[in-house]
Amino acid sequence: MISGSFRLKTLSGERETLHTGSFQIVTNNPLVADSLSGRYRVCFLKNGSDREVMVKVRDLIHRRHRLLTAPLSGSVKPWETPYRSIMVSSDPCSAVDATSLDLIERAMEVINRSHNYLKTTKPSIDHDFQIVDLSLIESALPSAEAIGRI
Amino acid sequence: MKLELGYIDIRGIRFGDHNAVEEGILVVNPEPLLKPVLEDPLIKTAHFEIAAPGESIRITPVKDVIEPRVKVEGKGGVFPGMVSKVDTVGSGKTNVLRGMAVVTAGPIVGFQEGIIDMTGVGADYTPFSQLHNLVLVMEPVEGFVQREYEKAARLAGLRTAAAIGELARNLTPDETVVYETPTIAETFSEELKNLPRVGYVMMLQSQGLLHDTYVYGVDAKRTLSTLIGATEVMDGAIVSGNCVSACDKNTTYHHQNNPVIHDLLAVHGQSINFVGVIITNENVYLDDKIRSSDWTAKMAQYLSLDAAIVSQEGFGNPDTDLIMNCTKLEKQGIRTVIITDEYAGQDGRSQSLADADALANAVVTGGNANELIILPRMDRVIGTLGYVDKIAGGHAGSLQPDGSIQAELQVITGATNEMGFNRLSAR
Repeated sequence: MISGSFRLKTLSGERETLHTGSFQIVTNNPLVADSLSGRYRVCFLKNGSDREVMVKVRDLIHRRHRLLTAPLSGSVKPWETPYRSIMVSSDPCSAVDATSLDLIERAMEVINRSHNYLKTTKPSIDHDFQIVDLSLIESALPSAEAIGRI
Repeated sequence: MKLELGYIDIRGIRFGDHNAVEEGILVVNPEPLLKPVLEDPLIKTAHFEIAAPGESIRITPVKDVIEPRVKVEGKGGVFPGMVSKVDTVGSGKTNVLRGMAVVTAGPIVGFQEGIIDMTGVGADYTPFSQLHNLVLVMEPVEGFVQREYEKAARLAGLRTAAAIGELARNLTPDETVVYETPTIAETFSEELKNLPRVGYVMMLQSQGLLHDTYVYGVDAKRTLSTLIGATEVMDGAIVSGNCVSACDKNTTYHHQNNPVIHDLLAVHGQSINFVGVIITNENVYLDDKIRSSDWTAKMAQYLSLDAAIVSQEGFGNPDTDLIMNCTKLEKQGIRTVIITDEYAGQDGRSQSLADADALANAVVTGGNANELIILPRMDRVIGTLGYVDKIAGGHAGSLQPDGSIQAELQVITGATNEMGFNRLSAR
C-alpha cells in the first residue's frame, strides 16, 4: 500500500512527508514524526500546540477529508499532555463528513475549556508524554492498514 | 455456569519466616515471593510493604490492585492466559482472600498516577483504604522501554497475587456464595420469562500503552465485542494493563469484584432476568468504535434484551464509545442506563462528558473528577511522592511544604470508578 516518499520543508515550518497511503497523521509530537514519517504520511506541526493540531485537522475536514481516529485519543487529560496526533484520510471525500466535523468540534470544546485548568506539564516528563502519544496513534495503525482506502 | 466463591476473611498481614494464612492473618516471607519478580531483567528492585486500614500511610504511584484468588475445583487457573494456561474459567470452586489486596506501585512513566491514602479525607474516596494491602514496590532498570516494563510490572503483580492466593487452596472459607448464570434457553424458562431481560455491556479501555485491558491474555483492542460469562470475570478472565486516570480506570480488583455483575446476579430471578455480559473495547480508530458499538447493539438484540446497563472506563475518547453504545442500544428499543463519571471543571459547571446525545437520558455518575481536594500529610509514604506534582489531577505546587497535597479528585485510585465501585454519587 505504501510506496515512495519525499519530504518538504514549507515556509510555515511544517514538515510533510508525502506517501501514497490512504491516511495521514497530523501531529505536534516530534517522536511521532521521527518514528512514523519514514513509513507513513506525517504532517508535523513543529512546536505547534495541541489546539493547532486540532485546527489543522478541522481545516482538513472542511476540505472533505475524513477523521479516522478519535481526537481525544487517550485518558491522559488534554490539560496535562502537550502532544496530540490525529489520523485523517489522505484523499478528500465527495462531501464534508458531518460525523468527523461533529467529533472534532466537540473535542475542540474540551481543549478550549481545558486551558482553564492548572498545568501539570514538566520538561522531565516531556519524553514520556511523547511515548504515550506515539503508542496511542500506533494502536490505530493495524486497523488503518487493514482497511485501506474507502 | 456455576461458580462457588469461598471467602476467607483476612484481618491482617505481617512479615514472618514462612508464607501462610493463619487464623485470618496473612504471614509473608518476602524472599521466595520476590525471587520470581526479580528474575525479570527489567525489574531492578522489588520489595513488599504492608498498609492496614486507618494507618497514616500514603501509597503512590499505584499501578494495579489485585485480589488474591485460587481455583480449587474446576477448569483453569486464575488470570487465564496471563499467569495460568488458557482455559475457560468461571465454574467449580474458587477461594478468595477477602479484605486484602496486592497493590503494585512504582514508576513507569513520569506522569503516572494513583494515590491510596489509608486514613483521612483521601481514604474516604477510595475503597482500597478499607483493605489490608500488601504493596509490591518495584523500580525499573536504567534505560527501560516503557511498554516492556509495563508488562513486567503487570505480570509481577498478577503472579504475586496468584502465589498469595495459592496459600488459600486448602483453607475452609468463612463464607461461601454460589453464583450461577443461566444459558440462553434457561432465560426463557417459565419462572424467568415474565421478567425484564437485562444485559450488562462492559466497556474495556484499549487504546495503547498504559491504556490496555486483557481478556484471557488477548489485548482487548484486537477483539470484536463478544459475550463473556459473569463468573469468568470473577476468576480473573479480565485483567488491567491500565495505568492512566487513577480515579476512573478499572483495576484488576474491580474486574474480579465487578459490582454491576454482583448486583444483577443478586436480583436475577426476582426483579430482573440477567441474560448476559457483553464486553466491548474503546479503540482509538473511529471505524473500530463504530464496528464495536454496532456489534454490541447487534448482540443485545440477538439476546432479545429489554434493557441494558453500560459501564465506561476512562475519559475523553471513551465518551464517544459510550454514547455510540447507548444510542445504538436505545434505537433498538433497549432501555439503557450508562455509568460514567464527570470532568465538569473544579466548579462543576462545565459539560461533564466530551460527547452527548438526547438518548443518553439515564445516567449514573461516579462523581466529578475535577473536584479539588486537600489530602493531609501522612506519617509514611509507600512508593514515592516525587510523582505527585506530575500525576493526573496533580499540578505544580500540589505537594505542599507541610506534606499535604492539593489536587483534583482524579489522583485517587478508584475515586470516581465507572462500575460504581466507589463511595461518591449524586442525584
